[in-house]
Amino acid sequence: MYKSIAELVSTANKENKLISELMIDQEMTQSGETRAVIIEKMSTNLEVMKQAIERGSNGEGVTSSTGLTGGDAVLLRKYREKGQSLSGDANLEAMQYAIATNEVNASMGLICATPTAGSSGTLPGVIFMIQKRLNLSHEKMIQALFTSSAFGMIVANNAMIAGATGGCQAEVGSASAMAAAAAVEITGGTPEQCAEAFAMGLSNLLGLVCDPVAGLVEIPCIKRNVIGAVNALTAADMALAGLSNKVPADEVIMAMKDIGERMPSALRETGVGGLASTPTGQAIKMKIFGETI
Amino acid sequence: MGNKYKSVFDIIGPVMIGPSSSHTAGAARIGKVGFQLFNGQITKLKVRYFESFAKTHRGHGTDFATVAGVLGFEPDDVRCPQAIQIAEKMGIDIQFIEDSHPSPINHPNSAELTLENETKKISLMGCSIGGGTIEIRAFTIKNQQFFPKGGLPILVLEANPINQDKIQNQIKKTTSIISQNESELTPNEFIYEYDLTKNLAETELKQLRLLTHNLIYLK
Repeated sequence: MYKSIAELVSTANKENKLISELMIDQEMTQSGETRAVIIEKMSTNLEVMKQAIERGSNGEGVTSSTGLTGGDAVLLRKYREKGQSLSGDANLEAMQYAIATNEVNASMGLICATPTAGSSGTLPGVIFMIQKRLNLSHEKMIQALFTSSAFGMIVANNAMIAGATGGCQAEVGSASAMAAAAAVEITGGTPEQCAEAFAMGLSNLLGLVCDPVAGLVEIPCIKRNVIGAVNALTAADMALAGLSNKVPADEVIMAMKDIGERMPSALRETGVGGLASTPTGQAIKMKIFGETI
Repeated sequence: MGNKYKSVFDIIGPVMIGPSSSHTAGAARIGKVGFQLFNGQITKLKVRYFESFAKTHRGHGTDFATVAGVLGFEPDDVRCPQAIQIAEKMGIDIQFIEDSHPSPINHPNSAELTLENETKKISLMGCSIGGGTIEIRAFTIKNQQFFPKGGLPILVLEANPINQDKIQNQIKKTTSIISQNESELTPNEFIYEYDLTKNLAETELKQLRLLTHNLIYLK
């Protein structure tokens, strides 16, 4: 198994293979399954992502069981139809898909964790937007998922991907960096550019805390996936334009780990600090669970 | 080979019912380990939460997810949100406890499960390490306590010690053993617990079942 992003990039160059291909090879060795079985399983996951986007976007969308969130993807879809957005329709489309997915997640609907459920909108937001714009094939989309998992696995094994251990930087931060790397590979970037996109994506979200109101994966989690998706696109664009993060990807992962370990427990998915501790956050908790923090 | 995350589907996956991979999918998987270790109809379930699990279990659906797992449901089973009601209809007495002590297994997302009926009782301590991946760091079966390294897959089996070499050779055909523990039930009957580096293929499991009457494979 790959121990670092540097190793992943150098192997890709040495063997003249895409990072997604290296990941499929690794999975075959690790699981003992055939390539066809592994690709088929990934196709199922891709289909779950697509359906979540549609469920959250179409008609009236979905609402969470607490009634706190829902319907925002639909508002974005309607806003997009006016064609007057400030940040451009590519961004808006990624935002809509990201929110749709996380609204389905909050409503206890079916989603695919990428790498977590709380951050499940970021990667689909990015790749489904790119697919629509560039007419990417199904195979390219599968490729994107393998590329992102290659990067995600290194973060997960060398640092953390849980809000409870590393804050939101470990969830949406990781998801965003993974999506940035995947976006670069499927649009023709080099393995080095994938790593740079990853490094810039994660660097820009370092320090993000996990402070869910009432401990629910709703506020601010759903909209944090918007920043995850948009940040991924900007990082991918910077990498494709030739920008470098200067601090290499593996060192950024170490920085993320260091910050996560120093983060107080109140800001690591306990629903105690940050937005959860605001008067409004506490009032929401009181209303739902009938108690204060 | 001490990687906690071994498969691409640990990262892109699991496909699951929301809202939290750690607190819902991971909790369901911890519950499922209880289901497998108990292997029978339970009448009583006690769930003790620590740290982040204790603080946010209600908001994250950890209660229904844990119960869903104990009933044998997978994290993507649409029945998950109704698992508590289903269990209560089956006559299972369920108790949730928010423990204010630090996690005995040193992870913020930790739960201790105790499953019992009139004739037997098992317990386990699991933690949900992120993205739906779990570790089982302690369990008690037939009054014997085990402390695995944590990561899955874990193989638990009962066998006569004279078969131990055969069993280990069979395991080593497709995977490696990181560590192992054993406990004596009778001089002819031991419980063995193996922490493995990667999955055992179905064909290997079939071969292993010929050498033991009780095999539990946690993956």
